[in-house]
Amino acid sequence: MRRRAAIASALSATVVLIVGWELGASARTSIPTATDVSAPTTGDAASGGSASGDAGSGDNSAAASAGAAASATATPSPAVTAPDSSTASGTYTGSDVQTRFGDVQVQVVVANGSITDVVALALTDDENRSRQISARAAPILRTEVLAAQSSQVQMVSGATYTSEAYLTSLQAALDQAGLS
Amino acid sequence: MSSGIHVFETMGTVASLVIPGADRALFEQIERVFADHDARFSLYRADSEISRIARGELVLSRSSEPLRAAYTEAIGWRTSTAGAFDPYRPDGVLDLSGVVKALAIHAARSAVVGAGLDDALLSVGGDGVALGRRRSRADSGRTPADSAAYAPWMAGIVDPENREHLLGAVPLHPGRAAIATSGTAERGEHVWRRSDPSSRTEAPYRQVTVRAADIVTADVLATAILSGGAETLSDACSQWNIDVLTVDASNGLTATPGFRRELTVGARLSA
Repeated sequence: MRRRAAIASALSATVVLIVGWELGASARTSIPTATDVSAPTTGDAASGGSASGDAGSGDNSAAASAGAAASATATPSPAVTAPDSSTASGTYTGSDVQTRFGDVQVQVVVANGSITDVVALALTDDENRSRQISARAAPILRTEVLAAQSSQVQMVSGATYTSEAYLTSLQAALDQAGLS
Repeated sequence: MSSGIHVFETMGTVASLVIPGADRALFEQIERVFADHDARFSLYRADSEISRIARGELVLSRSSEPLRAAYTEAIGWRTSTAGAFDPYRPDGVLDLSGVVKALAIHAARSAVVGAGLDDALLSVGGDGVALGRRRSRADSGRTPADSAAYAPWMAGIVDPENREHLLGAVPLHPGRAAIATSGTAERGEHVWRRSDPSSRTEAPYRQVTVRAADIVTADVLATAILSGGAETLSDACSQWNIDVLTVDASNGLTATPGFRRELTVGARLSA
């Protein structure tokens, strides 16, 4: 449990960043990323969140997507290593913090003792599910994107078309299908 | 009963309204909302209030309340986007079209709510907002209480490389009810690049799609990110609760986690 205490300590530093982000309305602070976090050398689990993640568990969809993001975007090698751990893996979730998005938790993804991602989770009221709040954009491949047909949508979002261009647009086809 | 679909030209583009249960009076009311905004804010009309300001015949402080409200909205966005969104054209002319279409869509949404309806999809020139959930045609015989008869409104995102194809599709639901796309492929009316030489080195995005809780936020930030590039994208993602999908000059895609999840594994595309 000692290494979890160290991680929890890193978490508390992250939580402080989140609070600062909320309070500093004018001072722009981005959502912390793995490279922003420095793990203190002394553990202080009591002041941080409860490190309740179970090693190796990947059933949380947000955590899974965060992990996928890290691998898909070739995130630089983790700059932060939990001091006295070499093999810990899993997802660790901090305590709730009040922000303008509602209650926020910080989730840290650890692989082989290194923090690979830090994710801010907003706790939604409905279904008591957590979801990731806005975070950085990362490259995705077109082959990753599910093909969508115009029959499956009710509107088409695109750069503003002129009245003339509308006539040959997918939106016009949709409207025609609905009107007929 | 009507099909609930109404299509009309406005603001140099076309509005597509899907409002199940709407009567003719509501559609006419919404047409007037757009016509009023266009009459006041179009720089293409010599007799509009904004054209009188552009010619120096009218000063802002003596302009109408709606114009000053739109101006205040636009200036607020200029400040919060650090200038990436700017209602002033490079030639110094005040052009509020960057917020006006979205403000009109927002007003149209209010008209739907005011009419006591709670399911609608209002899109104008590729930007839109959803209200409630759509009732699928196949299930139209079911009772409203049967939630299985309902599905979220789905918005496709056009592929700038081939405008007859979709890059993907995402649902519009409360909290993410609005979607807007800015691009260089078609009308770029209120988009101009920053003149700062240092930002010219960044590859500009060809198309930017933003999904947000409301249409003004989605539309303004799509414009701001298209104009401001990667720096504005990063700022916007940390400052607002939004999802962003970008297409760059070489047709590479980037997506924030909210979009990535739904465009890849999480999309529910059941028709």
